[in-house]
Amino acid sequence: MSEQENNELEMRSRALFHDSVDGLDMRIRSRLTQARSAALDAASSNRRRWAFSWKMWTPAFGVTAAAILGFALWTGSPPDTQSNFEDLDLVASTDEGSGDAMEMLQDDIDFYDFADKAANSGPAA
Amino acid sequence: MARFDTLNAAWMVWDNPAPAPEGAVLEYTKELEKFLAEIERRAFRMAQVALRDADDALDVVQDAMLKLTRSYASRPSSEWRPLFYRILENGIRDLQRRRTVRKRVMTWLPGPKEDPDNEAQDPLDNVADAAPAIPERLMQAQAMQKLEESLRALPARQREAFMLRNFEGMDVAETASAMACSEGSVKTHYSRAVHALRAQLGEVW
Repeated sequence: MSEQENNELEMRSRALFHDSVDGLDMRIRSRLTQARSAALDAASSNRRRWAFSWKMWTPAFGVTAAAILGFALWTGSPPDTQSNFEDLDLVASTDEGSGDAMEMLQDDIDFYDFADKAANSGPAA
Repeated sequence: MARFDTLNAAWMVWDNPAPAPEGAVLEYTKELEKFLAEIERRAFRMAQVALRDADDALDVVQDAMLKLTRSYASRPSSEWRPLFYRILENGIRDLQRRRTVRKRVMTWLPGPKEDPDNEAQDPLDNVADAAPAIPERLMQAQAMQKLEESLRALPARQREAFMLRNFEGMDVAETASAMACSEGSVKTHYSRAVHALRAQLGEVW
């Protein structure tokens, strides 16, 4: 069986096949066109459905996240603010009471001075 | 070379479809339509040769189109053809298996026995054509019929290799992708198919 005979068979069978494809009747052609359209429609509707759900849920997620954040800030902030002010009061009060502290220190100095004199004067009679 | 080893032998489903941007989708939808329009008639004829039934062939081609557009449209267009024919061949085999099962079941059920000689005959085949038969065209039709019969007599893999290589014009690498086998196997199947056809058709052709 020669290579040339094989080539002839290939060429002839290919030509016959393509003739039969060209000779397809209108009913078949029409149904193939319908099948193609249906396939493309199905594909695009799949994509639309996905896009629709994505576009619909993205704002919903955003609004929900914003609401949760707002609620957390609303309920969580006052105690924190109050504690901050208490800290500030303590600091401020420390500053304000610095004079009292000096007075207390002055009292202590008087006491130490008295104690020192009493010790140096010797035993009391 | 891109291979499709991850595809199942049965109907394939894309597990994780990655949505493409809107602009890209429009572009490949147009490209896909062009591809399908270009390939659909040959695919139909190949399916018809294998299945011997126009309606079954149409169903299989439509299923293959749906599978391709739903699951593989976002793949590079160079992969579409081998993918499409792989899906198509899976569909043909699936249908042939179902037919075999149906036939086995039907033999157990009581009913009118089918005449094996008339099994594949369509009543419309016996209706005379109104147009006068042109001898050349008639000879071509007879030659094609003989070719189809010979192709059906081939093992499925040989028939597939011959049709993809010779009718669809795929190269060895593309055919190997479509058939999910090695390039060496494609060459072997094709060579055997050509020799078998030559042996069957040699006298007529």
